[in-house]
Amino acid sequence: MIDGLFNQTSYVAAKRLLDVTALRQEAIASNIANVETPNYKRMDVAPAFAAELKQAIESKDPTRLASLQPQLATDGSAIAQRKDGNTVDLESELMRMNQNFLEHQLETQLISGSMLKLRLAITGRS
Amino acid sequence: MNALSALRSLAYPALRAEAPLKSGEAGALKNIPFSELETLSPGIFPLEQSRAGGSSFENTIKSFIGEVAGKQAAAGEAVTGLLAGKNVSLHQAMIGMEEASISFQLMVEVRNKMLESYQELMRMQV
Amino acid sequence: MINILTGIDSTSAALNAERIRMDVVSQNIANVNTTRGPDGRPYQRQQVVFESVLKDQLQAGGGSGSEPQLVQIARVESANRPPRMSYQPGHPDANASGMVAMPDISIHEEMIDLMSASRAYEANLAVVKNARSMAMQTLSIGKR
Repeated sequence: MIDGLFNQTSYVAAKRLLDVTALRQEAIASNIANVETPNYKRMDVAPAFAAELKQAIESKDPTRLASLQPQLATDGSAIAQRKDGNTVDLESELMRMNQNFLEHQLETQLISGSMLKLRLAITGRS
Repeated sequence: MNALSALRSLAYPALRAEAPLKSGEAGALKNIPFSELETLSPGIFPLEQSRAGGSSFENTIKSFIGEVAGKQAAAGEAVTGLLAGKNVSLHQAMIGMEEASISFQLMVEVRNKMLESYQELMRMQV
Repeated sequence: MINILTGIDSTSAALNAERIRMDVVSQNIANVNTTRGPDGRPYQRQQVVFESVLKDQLQAGGGSGSEPQLVQIARVESANRPPRMSYQPGHPDANASGMVAMPDISIHEEMIDLMSASRAYEANLAVVKNARSMAMQTLSIGKR
């Protein structure tokens, strides 16, 4: 019965996406930390997982969304900019970090909005 | 039998078998046994049916309280996991706490409404 | 420690490593004219070697994917470059033909190293600031 409160697709999707942004922040931190390490390959959220998440959101199935587990993987498409095999491009990492921050802000606002609406419905006061 | 007496017989099940009115009162009122009332206007007293069905409302309330307690327990675990430095991320603990709080608030409001209706019922004059 | 800032382990390891690198670079610059070190020979240019190690703990998403890597200085080693000979007959360390063995340190090279170490250091500081802002937002979930 309580699960019915928290079962809307947008709410569950926002929670999963929040997991993804937290994981991506770890990956970006690792990439920027290793910008000078020889032969380091940059990592990001696994693209297979990203595709799976998109499908699950479009299917509007909350249980399917709730069971996903995000993962990190090495980015196969990144090419080595330097001779020592390091594939990290500092500027693009900083750009991704900014983008990630704003996505995180979007998801926290969606989640907070849903919660405040629920509280309003329950108590009649905001 | 007027409507208020019918409601009173709901509140006091022991009186169902007997009519609450004295036979000496004015008007063409007779002692109508409960079973005959049911045939006169079926469906006035649905409580009788659910009582025969095994108090499903009570079961509903019990499972509801169990779910709320489950949410609280899960939130407590997430928070202790976070504080102990285990694998729980900050947003999981925050969302768990807020969901538990919303569920608890729902339970409190349901309890308030039930208490209010009971008191209103008790206040009815016969 | 409570896991509030995401990626803080990688970033603090990187800040440490870059700072050590800057120390080494400034030591090289300071010794650009040292013709006689403690071992009697000209100063040898020092350089750092970075390496990345895996974090001990598994991340939140389960261990089957890749894990964030920490960077650390593997070692600080001598570059083992042969000394540059320059003609300074009046120098106390000059040999019979008036040539002095100077350390093969180029200020331009050291300045470029310093700039890239500095840029990496600032980028890691930006990561920490970002992680902090994200944590503050997370803490305000559900509040008005």
